[in-house]
Amino acid sequence: MSDHWAYVVAAYALAVVVLGAYWRRLVRKERELKALHTARADHNTARTDHTMRSRQPSIPAHPRSDPGKRSPLQ
Amino acid sequence: MTRVLGWLAALALAIGLVMAFAIAPREVTQGNVQRIMYLHVPTAWVAYLAFGVVLVASIAYLARRAAVADRVAHASAEVGVVFTGITIAAGSIWGKPTWGTWWTWDARLTSVAILFVMYLGYLLLRGMIDDHERAARYCAVLGIVAALDVPLVHFSVYWWRTLHQPPSVLKPGAATMPPAILTALLVNLVAFTLLYVYLVAKRVGLLQQETEALAS
Repeated sequence: MSDHWAYVVAAYALAVVVLGAYWRRLVRKERELKALHTARADHNTARTDHTMRSRQPSIPAHPRSDPGKRSPLQ
Repeated sequence: MTRVLGWLAALALAIGLVMAFAIAPREVTQGNVQRIMYLHVPTAWVAYLAFGVVLVASIAYLARRAAVADRVAHASAEVGVVFTGITIAAGSIWGKPTWGTWWTWDARLTSVAILFVMYLGYLLLRGMIDDHERAARYCAVLGIVAALDVPLVHFSVYWWRTLHQPPSVLKPGAATMPPAILTALLVNLVAFTLLYVYLVAKRVGLLQQETEALAS
């Protein structure tokens, strides 16, 4: 019987393509999940910064004077 | 750990290829086309293993409702479908020069095709149901029912008259093949099993991350 190398190559090449495609799909999914995780972490950090900033006095450059030291006109 | 498994699988596959093409002798009757066996038989074995794991994990999920069992069943079914597809395609390519046909509706080929379609349905069912708990429950039942086809596939060559040859390794008694061919086949069995374990471990990890991403 002749060797039919073309069939052998076709079978192995097909297996490489299918397994390679599946592996790439897993890697792509992993990358997407990592990107999503990073984006969420950045968003949470930004939101925390914003919240912290909103709790600070808005205009610290204008302190109130001490009431005991005020003159009657004040 | 998964990365180490991946490298181990890659190394084992490389050794398996060398064994299949450089060490194993040319088969006398079929010639070099018989080398497809080192791909076809291990992928079929991994498909059996994958659906066996689906069966055990599905029973475990129904008994304990453990999310990890559902993730293992899902991952194993997905990888099993990939390996069954390769088994069918490689077998078909091997069948053309040896049997003179790409496909015939004999008991072995038909039962494998049914197995493939049932697990494709399993994956479709998962995608169709939004409620995660309900999808897991339905798929566990389907996973158990579909796995019952595995013994039917294996014993079909004994129970019906088929074009497909009976098993040479997974059978009672000693293997009926020369030691050099048997060794190459066993090395490839180990290599593809390692690849299966790696792919399932990676997929289970991703499913876990997906669940966490959906929950947060």
